[in-house]
Amino acid sequence: MTFILNFLSLGIPFSVALLIASLGEMFNQRAGIFNLGCEGIMAMGAFLGMLIPYSIGRGADVPGIYNYLGLLVATGVGALLGLFFAMVVVTFRAPQGIAGIGLQMFGVGTAGTLFRHFVGGTQSIPGINRAPIPFLADIPVLGPLFFNHNPLVYVAFFLVPIAWYVLFKTPWGLRVRAVGTHPRAADSIGIQVNKVRFQALALGGALAGLAGAYLSLCQAKMFSDEIIAGRGFIAVALVYFGHWNPVKIMGGALLFSLAQALQLAIQGLGIDFPYEFLVMLPYVLVILVLTLSRKAQHMGPTALGKPFNREMRT
Amino acid sequence: MKKMLILVLMFSMVASMAFSAGQAEAAATTSKAIKIALIIESTIDDKGWGQAMYDGILEAAAKNPGKIEYSVSEKMKPVDAGSAILQYAGQGYQIIIGHGAQFKNVITEMAREYPKISFAFGTSSDIVGPNVFSYMPESEETGYLNGLIAGMLTKTNTIGLVGPVDGGDAARYNRGFVLGVKAVNAKANVMVAHTGSFADFVKASEVAHTQIKSGADILTGSSQQALGALRAVADYRDKDIWWVGQDLAQIAIPEGYKVLSASSYNYAAVINTMVAKLDAGILGGENIPMNFNNNGFVFQYNPALKSKITPAIEAKVTEALNAFKAARGNAAVVNWKDVKYN
Repeated sequence: MTFILNFLSLGIPFSVALLIASLGEMFNQRAGIFNLGCEGIMAMGAFLGMLIPYSIGRGADVPGIYNYLGLLVATGVGALLGLFFAMVVVTFRAPQGIAGIGLQMFGVGTAGTLFRHFVGGTQSIPGINRAPIPFLADIPVLGPLFFNHNPLVYVAFFLVPIAWYVLFKTPWGLRVRAVGTHPRAADSIGIQVNKVRFQALALGGALAGLAGAYLSLCQAKMFSDEIIAGRGFIAVALVYFGHWNPVKIMGGALLFSLAQALQLAIQGLGIDFPYEFLVMLPYVLVILVLTLSRKAQHMGPTALGKPFNREMRT
Repeated sequence: MKKMLILVLMFSMVASMAFSAGQAEAAATTSKAIKIALIIESTIDDKGWGQAMYDGILEAAAKNPGKIEYSVSEKMKPVDAGSAILQYAGQGYQIIIGHGAQFKNVITEMAREYPKISFAFGTSSDIVGPNVFSYMPESEETGYLNGLIAGMLTKTNTIGLVGPVDGGDAARYNRGFVLGVKAVNAKANVMVAHTGSFADFVKASEVAHTQIKSGADILTGSSQQALGALRAVADYRDKDIWWVGQDLAQIAIPEGYKVLSASSYNYAAVINTMVAKLDAGILGGENIPMNFNNNGFVFQYNPALKSKITPAIEAKVTEALNAFKAARGNAAVVNWKDVKYN
């Protein structure tokens, strides 16, 4: 029982960075743009998130406001990078895949370079600690599982219904889905396709920046060049996995993270089984589910990856 | 115009990556000194793997004034290392070190091309050419000392070990650690988990949290990823959860208040050996071991936490340390390969 509780309560916070980044990527893709640069934006978010409190405290405790300022800056710069990406792929209609890889390199490289310049070597920060919810955290079983986490964990899961509502119940969400599914039709009824795509990419970038800052401020409480370690690409995969639906994406992020927590817990049991296979387990699981859910190929935004040019009549 | 703008933007993206991919640092040069080039995949201030070798070169250079010049290339992937080696070879460097087993192939290849230059890589025991040194820390010794402390201090009889991969010196450290724990506490359970990465701090922190949740009250880990695990331990500020480390730098960082002891590699011993061999006309073809016996390791308690180390623990550690210093291949750790984690 304790074993199960432990891995469940750890799997939830492990999923947060993936969940936030995936929700952002979902808005990108729903608007018809897939952003492989998510990893780069996350790296910039991770760096800027830790830079603010580190600059103030130099590793010592700082008032919580600076940590949250770090989150804010990371989110803001993430949005700017999203807009930058929008300029490249929406305005200039550059190939999205190549531009995304470029953004990934740009983000990771710039974050690493700025880190060396402004911080130097690996440094840690006190970061944002867990915030147990009074009374609820004391409930047996449920308390440790759901109510004894970092504040960003609650925020991340609160974002799921918000994202769902925005996407499916607001006029803006409808416009996003329209420009991602049939931009020409959307254009014909007066929706400014490029404007909506810019907005969606800014939102996606902001969430990717926030996800990166979660890793450096809440989880690792330090920054290194490799801190994102492919999580940005997993976030992109989780959007397909979750069929572009916030609730299903949350399920995918949880499944991946619980598999991760499970493999770590199994390793600790000392079972005679090659650990390399256990390390692979979450990734294999994602590939397996993606392969099995062929239906997803027909559920995605039909204009995904296609630049929109209202002058072209193809 | 738009195409031009796209090209400019794309170029700036890729260029930013290229500019950050490698940084070189060079010491002031004099004409008669031995020129050493260091190539590392991390950085010289990573408080772990890269920094330990860099510090070793600095120490060797300080102890031999005017004898050693050095240059460093950081953040070099093995695939890029070849071009860096070519440049160093062209600039007359006499010793080129690829610090990491991942550089073995490129070092082997370049060593054949430049038979008059001495190359080195590690950690490895492999002998790959007459002008290539390999170096291998016999880390079971440092692991054993930390294992003694962990085994005697644990109250829950559950100890966590956060490994990167089960290979090289990390595997030796881990197994030595298990031997140390078992030598003093047969009831203790060492939970071993590997992240599969040398640099993923986040995953190391996840492993440490998992182990602490499972009852571990003393943790250890190796390679630079261990910092993530130490940071996780530091989250339990007011709890009796401690860390025994594999790098002295960990004592001095903000999380040092959780570090009971640490050992460190003293790569100065390797550098000094290579320089001496080079003076004697030997360019390689040998493996240089690192152990307490040849001053390849340093061990230290955290002075701020010395009160946690009981006289019994100190006596046990001192006894083992003296035995390691007296002779290589101590019986306590000589069979480290036989250790099974489960």
